Amino acid sequence: MMEVSIQQHNHVAVVVIAGSIDALTADALVTALLAELQQGRTRLVADFSAVEYTSSAGLRVLLTTLKDARQRGGDLRLAHIRPNVRQVLELSGFTSILKCFPDRDSAIASYPA
Amino acid sequence: MTLSVTAERSLGDVLQRRSRIGLVIGSGGIKCTMAIGLLKVLAREGIPVDVAVGCSGGAIYAAMFALGDEVAAIETRSLEVWRDLFTKLHYRSLLRAVAPALFGYHEQVGLVDDRRVWQVLEAHFGTRDFGECRIPLHVAATDFRSGEKVTLTEGRIIDAIRASIAIPLLLRAWPVNDRLLVDGGASNPLPIDIAIREGCDIILAMGFESQMTDDVRSFTNAVGRTSTIVTNHLLRATFAFYSAAHHAEVLPIMPLLDRDIGLTEWEQIPYLIEQGERAAEEQVPYLRRLLAQTLGDASPPRA
Repeated sequence: MMEVSIQQHNHVAVVVIAGSIDALTADALVTALLAELQQGRTRLVADFSAVEYTSSAGLRVLLTTLKDARQRGGDLRLAHIRPNVRQVLELSGFTSILKCFPDRDSAIASYPA
Repeated sequence: MTLSVTAERSLGDVLQRRSRIGLVIGSGGIKCTMAIGLLKVLAREGIPVDVAVGCSGGAIYAAMFALGDEVAAIETRSLEVWRDLFTKLHYRSLLRAVAPALFGYHEQVGLVDDRRVWQVLEAHFGTRDFGECRIPLHVAATDFRSGEKVTLTEGRIIDAIRASIAIPLLLRAWPVNDRLLVDGGASNPLPIDIAIREGCDIILAMGFESQMTDDVRSFTNAVGRTSTIVTNHLLRATFAFYSAAHHAEVLPIMPLLDRDIGLTEWEQIPYLIEQGERAAEEQVPYLRRLLAQTLGDASPPRA
């Protein structure tokens, strides 16, 4: 199960994800994220504080969104990642290609005004 | 905007049929005994596995599983198998390594006396071959001469495993089908690619990172640390590539240890099994949800 809510913070869209990002939820999440990008909201922060699990399907969602955001001049940045999820992101090298922050505020602040 | 998803089907046609499940057990020396913990969880949860893939020490457990051995028997045997397995030196190899001009160098050099290794493998696998497995078994090795990845799927299981566990410099390379083979971990420490090639939709990938030693006090330590760095990065790169590049769902089971455990520390096996079981249990809730969504599994399987 997964829930997604998107909030606008000035120039940054904060995507709050709760639950599991996996093969059962990946399509819905990527659709929501790409819809934000298509509407010109290309500066994304994914709040991972309530993400309990990420599978390889979840990793592919992040990769697809990241590529699309950067092609549009924006970015996808992660905030507040739980240790078990961070382990998967580290194993897969995603912490090397994505900018990760300890909390939502610092992730939002990382984008220039 | 708020979106709630309970069981959106994202695997496309995969969920229109019973998923094909692959079990991949990577290289990791004695740490591969953590696979016993995983096998316990698979048995307890009644998770069906269609293909078994193993590399190096992981090949031992993939083979036992593919042959249908009971987990309790595998555990009991493992507590004996690893005892004194790597403690005797192969003196001829040692002399060849330090004074090749005098004793002549040979490409099958290995510093550990491998007679006990062979005895242990022979006691368990004997003359059993791949054809006797209840599910397909694939063993990863490396061609010592060309460096190519090799997958063994036929012949005597003992030869495939002996080749796959030939840790460079420690155990002599092993000839199979006119090729001289060494440890699969040298080229493919977590052979997810084989499971993908065999059409697996869901891949349980158990890999083992090595812990960094606290300090380097000898040349051997330095070589060991270098090997650990290279192997860990190769493991991560392998996992990353196959997770991102293919539609198969790869579930990583990579237990985190709080200590470095060497090849001769067989007294740590109960701890390793426990850690393997704990890491496998973390994947069970999602695995059961995933299986429950397939048309062939209206309800999650139970043993």
